[in-house]
Amino acid sequence: MSAPIVQLSNVVKEYPLGHVTVTALDGVSLDIDAGDFITIAGPSGSGKTTILNMIGCVDVPTRGEVVVDGQPTRTLSDRALTSLRLHKLGFIFQSFNLIPVLSVAQNVEFPLLLQGHIGAAERKKRVAEMVEKVGLTPQSGQRPSELSGGQRQRVAIARALVTRPRIVMADEPTANLDSVTGQNIIELMRHLNETEQTTFIFSTHDPKVMAHAKRIVRIKDGKVEDDGRGNASNNQAAA
Amino acid sequence: MYFTIAVRNLLQAKRRTLLLSLAIGAVTMLLVLLQSLSQGLNETMIQAATTLSAGHVNVAGFFKSKPSDASPILSDAPPLRAILEKETPGLDYVIDRARGWGKIISDSGSVQSGLTGVNLAEERTLTKIVQMARENEYRDNGRDQVLGDINKLAEPGQLMLFAAQARKLNVTVGDQVTISIETIDGQTNTMSGTVCAIARDIGFMSGWSVFLNRSSLKSLYEQADTSTGALMVYLKPGYRGREKEVMDSLRGILESKGYTMMDHDPNPFWMKFDKVLAEDWIGQQIDLTTWEDEVSFLKWVLVALDSITFFLIAVLTFVIAVGIMNTVLMSVRERTREIGTVRAIGLSQSGVLTMFLLESLLLGLFATALGSALGASIAWLIDSSKVAITDDAIKTFVMSDTLHLSVLPQHVITAIIAFTFITGLSALWPALRASRMQPVTAMSSAT
Repeated sequence: MSAPIVQLSNVVKEYPLGHVTVTALDGVSLDIDAGDFITIAGPSGSGKTTILNMIGCVDVPTRGEVVVDGQPTRTLSDRALTSLRLHKLGFIFQSFNLIPVLSVAQNVEFPLLLQGHIGAAERKKRVAEMVEKVGLTPQSGQRPSELSGGQRQRVAIARALVTRPRIVMADEPTANLDSVTGQNIIELMRHLNETEQTTFIFSTHDPKVMAHAKRIVRIKDGKVEDDGRGNASNNQAAA
Repeated sequence: MYFTIAVRNLLQAKRRTLLLSLAIGAVTMLLVLLQSLSQGLNETMIQAATTLSAGHVNVAGFFKSKPSDASPILSDAPPLRAILEKETPGLDYVIDRARGWGKIISDSGSVQSGLTGVNLAEERTLTKIVQMARENEYRDNGRDQVLGDINKLAEPGQLMLFAAQARKLNVTVGDQVTISIETIDGQTNTMSGTVCAIARDIGFMSGWSVFLNRSSLKSLYEQADTSTGALMVYLKPGYRGREKEVMDSLRGILESKGYTMMDHDPNPFWMKFDKVLAEDWIGQQIDLTTWEDEVSFLKWVLVALDSITFFLIAVLTFVIAVGIMNTVLMSVRERTREIGTVRAIGLSQSGVLTMFLLESLLLGLFATALGSALGASIAWLIDSSKVAITDDAIKTFVMSDTLHLSVLPQHVITAIIAFTFITGLSALWPALRASRMQPVTAMSSAT
């Protein structure tokens, strides 16, 4: 059996808030396998986003260890973390977070440009392919402000996947979408998970969205309530 | 992509971009205008100096027959001139002018003036640069026509006045005046002269200059044929601006030929009398000066203008820099979430810094280019319109009766580079702040 692509070992994350210290994660341990399609579920403030931030290398733990694709993140420099994010990880945000002044194609191309080593022709080809996969070829020259919420989230998915990352994090990707669009987005993510073998880790508290997950990790008060390992009945129950 | 993001962000924040561009452009325009005024003044000064009282380099000196006197003459000019004509680097030509100081007296008044004796046959620029005045420019109810002829200066007893002097003396072309001088021995000599031409004023320097036939002036001072006031060395265009270098070179050459040289004193000859009179030597000493030394007493005008320019631009630049800093800070605050997003995607800290700096530099470049172009165009328009200056105080200040502005390409380029750099520098701190934001903090921003 291969090593997990993500390992969280007894992770604690504390934030100073005025004179008090808030514990966002309290001893979280979790293994995620490559190619998984996993949801982190829990109520608001339970620590879902913090876990995604740890795995996404935009934050580091106060204590404990986060290992992403074999690299312990706590000891990495900012430059190394940036490189890890650029080459191994993709992000999909709840509010889409597209660059408003760039077109659909340019938003998708942006991470490829940051990678630097990909030639212009190859970039154009990959952007066109990815935009087509998310069904936005006709809109590729439009700016985000000209798109619907669902279309914007498709752009975000294309941007997250265009670098062919090993892991994609999605923080409540359907929260700002209507149910039909949300359903379509999750189906698209699932399809890409199956065809591209990309690991998807997304947070949600929507049972309909959870139903698509291969595995559900339940979080409450910064602790893992259920890591979803071999507990298929939980998935069914959630559905 | 950075360029696209920068340009589009600037276009998106239209009002902010426009206001900042206007402010930066206005200061750049002002700088170009003030620099062109300073340059114009400098050009007027060099033209006035090299036409009226100096060559690019001047070889003059003092002769003392006894320690207690001093004559501002070269007692044996021909061999000196031969050396200059043979060995001056970048030489165009040499002219020989007699110099003196005296009183011009007419029926209705008198003026004190420097007297310059010219040999018209060897003068190359005097007749071209000096413009004749119409009679109504120096006389009430005068005719609207130029009278007289500068070429008559070739004849003995002829003199040329400038308009301000003619007005004071209430004379016109053809009138007789008396020229009175005092020799070094305290003897007063006079001669009668005919006004053969009246020229337009060249700044206020021309108020002190009367040109007359060289041999007449020498006769008036009872000078020997071989003596003269100054040998004025004019340089070829490629050597202009290198007067000091040429002067130093000539100093070495003349010293090697056995001439006794005076220490360099960057002042006109008439400011050196007291010092030379107090010195205990006899014979001939050579004094070398540049045209700038000869008009050093006027340099305060340029220094004053440049100081005002510096102060004004420094204050405005400070205000603009604070404005730019605030604007970029505002932009960073508005785009905090965007910063978090691009950092999460994989943009490095230096990438964020580049993104914000490029935006400011582009704004600076656009605004300064526009401001410089506008400033240069306005300066050109003012200069070509030959705007007349009616106020005597301003006339004195700018040394001309018309406003002369001169734009040099290097001034425009310097203004563009300097203000673009200042714009970038002003944005550096907020851009650094943006680049140092933690991605997670930036992403969770409410904006």
